[in-house]
Amino acid sequence: MSFFSRSKRWKVRRTKKVSPEAVLRNKFLFFHGVIVLSFMILAAQLWRMQIVEGSRYLERADGNRIRRVTIPSNRGIVYDRNGAPLVQNVPSFAAAAVVGDIPITESEQVITLLASILSMQPSDVEQKIKSAQSEGRVYSPTIIKSNLNDRLAMILRERGSELPGVKVLVQPQRNYIGGNSLSHMMGYVGSISQEEYGELKDNGYDFNDTIGKTGLELSYEKELRGEPGWEEIEVNARGLPLDTLAVNKPKDGFNLHLSIDLPLQKEMSRLLQEGTAGSDYAAAMAMDPNTGQVLGMTSIPSYNNNVFTTARNDGAIESLLGDPHLPLLNYAVSGRHPPGSVFKVITGTAALQEGIARPSTTITSTGSITVPNQYDSRITYIFRDWAALGAMNFYRGLAMSSDVYFYYLAGGFNDFIGLGAARLAGYARAYGLDKLTGIDLPDEIAGLVPDPEWKEAALKEPWLLGDTYHLGIGQGYAAVTPVEMLVAVSAIANGGDIVQPQLASEISDAGGQAKQPFTPKVRGRLPISQENINHVIEGMRQAVETPGATATTAYTKGMSTAGKTGSAEFGEISKRTGQLETHAWFIGFAPLNDPKIAVVVFAQRGSGSVIAAPIGGKIIEYYLSEGK
Amino acid sequence: MDVKTWKHFDFVLMLAVLGILGFGLAGINSATMAQQSSAAISWDSPVIRQTIYVALGLSLMLVVAGTDYQSYNNFAAVIYAASILSLLAVFIAGLEAHGARRWIDLGFIQVQPSEVAKVGTILALAKFFSDREGRCGEFKVMLASISIAVLPALLVYIQPDLGSAVLFPIIWLGMAIMAGVRVVYIGLLMSLSVLSLPAVYVLLLAPYMQDRLATFVDPTRDPLGSGYNIIQSEIGVGSGGLLGKGLLNGTQSRLQFLRVQNTDFIFSVLGEELGFIGAIVLFSLFMVLLFRSLRSAMISRDSFGRLIATGVVVLIISQVFINVGVNVRLLPVTGIPLPLVSSGGTSLMATLIALGMVQSIAMRHEKPKF
Repeated sequence: MSFFSRSKRWKVRRTKKVSPEAVLRNKFLFFHGVIVLSFMILAAQLWRMQIVEGSRYLERADGNRIRRVTIPSNRGIVYDRNGAPLVQNVPSFAAAAVVGDIPITESEQVITLLASILSMQPSDVEQKIKSAQSEGRVYSPTIIKSNLNDRLAMILRERGSELPGVKVLVQPQRNYIGGNSLSHMMGYVGSISQEEYGELKDNGYDFNDTIGKTGLELSYEKELRGEPGWEEIEVNARGLPLDTLAVNKPKDGFNLHLSIDLPLQKEMSRLLQEGTAGSDYAAAMAMDPNTGQVLGMTSIPSYNNNVFTTARNDGAIESLLGDPHLPLLNYAVSGRHPPGSVFKVITGTAALQEGIARPSTTITSTGSITVPNQYDSRITYIFRDWAALGAMNFYRGLAMSSDVYFYYLAGGFNDFIGLGAARLAGYARAYGLDKLTGIDLPDEIAGLVPDPEWKEAALKEPWLLGDTYHLGIGQGYAAVTPVEMLVAVSAIANGGDIVQPQLASEISDAGGQAKQPFTPKVRGRLPISQENINHVIEGMRQAVETPGATATTAYTKGMSTAGKTGSAEFGEISKRTGQLETHAWFIGFAPLNDPKIAVVVFAQRGSGSVIAAPIGGKIIEYYLSEGK
Repeated sequence: MDVKTWKHFDFVLMLAVLGILGFGLAGINSATMAQQSSAAISWDSPVIRQTIYVALGLSLMLVVAGTDYQSYNNFAAVIYAASILSLLAVFIAGLEAHGARRWIDLGFIQVQPSEVAKVGTILALAKFFSDREGRCGEFKVMLASISIAVLPALLVYIQPDLGSAVLFPIIWLGMAIMAGVRVVYIGLLMSLSVLSLPAVYVLLLAPYMQDRLATFVDPTRDPLGSGYNIIQSEIGVGSGGLLGKGLLNGTQSRLQFLRVQNTDFIFSVLGEELGFIGAIVLFSLFMVLLFRSLRSAMISRDSFGRLIATGVVVLIISQVFINVGVNVRLLPVTGIPLPLVSSGGTSLMATLIALGMVQSIAMRHEKPKF
């Protein structure tokens, strides 16, 4: 019981042992003890906090006051071959909220006011703030609305004191200035998506970043983006910046120099627009056949890619996405269609190389050939020519685009031995018609070169002689993209090299220093002799220059041009003529002695001679006479 | 008052007081620098106001020290009654701040009656116990002495100011032990209080107090709201490390991450800027002050003086422990100032007057009793 009690009863019993002085002394001892113990407890806790865990608390104190702010880098500019810019960076304002800086007690007023200034629903603003909160992005800005006009940005700044935690960010924005015909090629940038952010946040991407979504903006994202910088600023408890502690300057992105010739590009676009009025979609592409440098590339319907970066016309994006003719699709690289008679160039070179035909090989077209069924000779099939073209040598067969002539070469007839499906398909593959060309654009698709094994596997049906005939004239199952055909015709023009088409010819840094000069890439070589190639070129020349031939609409006075048309049936019956509708194709190059340009024109619904060849001829004419 | 009594003036105690006051002024200066609109120190700035209070308080301390504490024996009841009345006056003429009425505006100065009542209660208990010397073990004496402490505690509690209300029972406990209340009774009382804690939580704790307790247990449940001060003061103290960030260099206070930093969280500012070493120096000064005050009690010529000095010691140690305990996350937020350090005139004056009484007791001691 205790040392300091002074109760009488206790005293009576213990008087002799404990004096009042001793009791008092014990009490003072007790009070001293309490004081010492109290400070020991406090000192122990201080030791734990300041000495043991001091560095952790220091980190948290620094986390309070130091904020790392991203400084966006300037995205690289894209130029055409003559140095004309195709895109520019313009400053754009965005309203952003730093959630941790909005005082809890004022958050409702801030949200209401911000929503009314931005003409948004308060619930939408709140939603964005809530999601930032739940993801822990409390002290970095969350964009509430971008692409504010100057007036809104000024209002937000003026009313800053009523909007604690709200910032106006200045962000560089892409403005594409080359015209709609470049949209497919250029693509566009957009806000980084959740998935992209998840993948790329370790590569220096920020939650508010923009990123190339398609086109060159996507395929050269790494080069164009540059490296964003940051600065560390000291802020007070209200989030007001007081001091800059450290700066890491951003590195601007590399500039991209395209081989595209802007005037040619615009002319191609105009020619395609005007020349394919009856088509839902069409594409044209021109390339230097020796190097693979793309000179022009256009796909219609085209669209304005600025609607994606300004995001003002939400309706515009919706209607683009809902358009049944898929304006966002680049038909030059992402559309696959039967090549029709342009494929005869491939069949022709194969037959020459395999000794099936010589230039003098004469075949007579009576308008059709009739073959019996393999198993039941009473059943016969008729394979028609587009006209009864009479007796033709190889050049004329190609120039007149005789189907019967190429039925013979592909599948043989009576005593005439043809190439057969396997050999023909092999040559088609050698031209790269079943592979991606490797063009520096996303979303390229590969063509289809059918053969017996493919048909067996894909359709579970045996390959028939008729399938060989159809393949020989580019009908049936064969399907190619315009860019594949362009590479094929370029290989003929350049003597057999399968070149890789490239839009970008050079990459340079902001100071104009070349970082990555252009080198032509050759992906393969045709197993065809120059002599045989020359025979095909002669056939293609006659197609353009012989009166009455199929590609004369591509003829330009004073220019030697090789060309081949195609009108590929695709199964639709014309309402006007009652006959099968065709896609229009043209491939060609010029000049013959020193090819400078190869072209491909494709138009949905139309005839090669009437629709595609004139456009192709004019593209060649424009390019070769440009600047002269 | 003759010169001879000043011979026994306790200069060690005085130096400790001055040292602690210096810490206080430095801390208030750091804590309020960021709030000042200009760098120049105006007459209106908290640090200047505190300096005036310090001067005033030190003068009062000396006057009280020069007065024979025996003379309070006659006025103890009056002073106690006056402090009870002032507590009542709070409900009629009190100024409301943060949802509580704690101040009275006397025109030239704002007074916090609960601070006055602490000293008044010490005096009243000292007189009550010393008048019944030898009978303090009796049960009815104990009951009566409890009521002296409970009355102001209740009045403060309904302001509401739970933190300050808790101090009255603590003062009673310390003085009762010194006076000789039977340990059995004290033990009984304490076990009763512990047993009634759940009932107290439900019946007596206002929602804001329950909220504070919950926040104490887990400040992260509302890091930008009620948990904010706890988290930020903890960060402030912890980030000070061994040597601190230097006066005026504490980022937590300078950048205002800490709120109410010149009153309840002044220790956090000092801990951040002066570090562990600075805090230990401050603790040492407090220990010197407390030991010297206990010395006054020990050498007091009578039990009235001994009880006053004991009451003052209990008042100061409990406030220091609670205030620092809150700052280092040992205790929930209570709103108790750090004696002689926190900004606030009434607390400072009351503490300095109480220390003046301790001096008065030391100056008039007789030869040591043991």
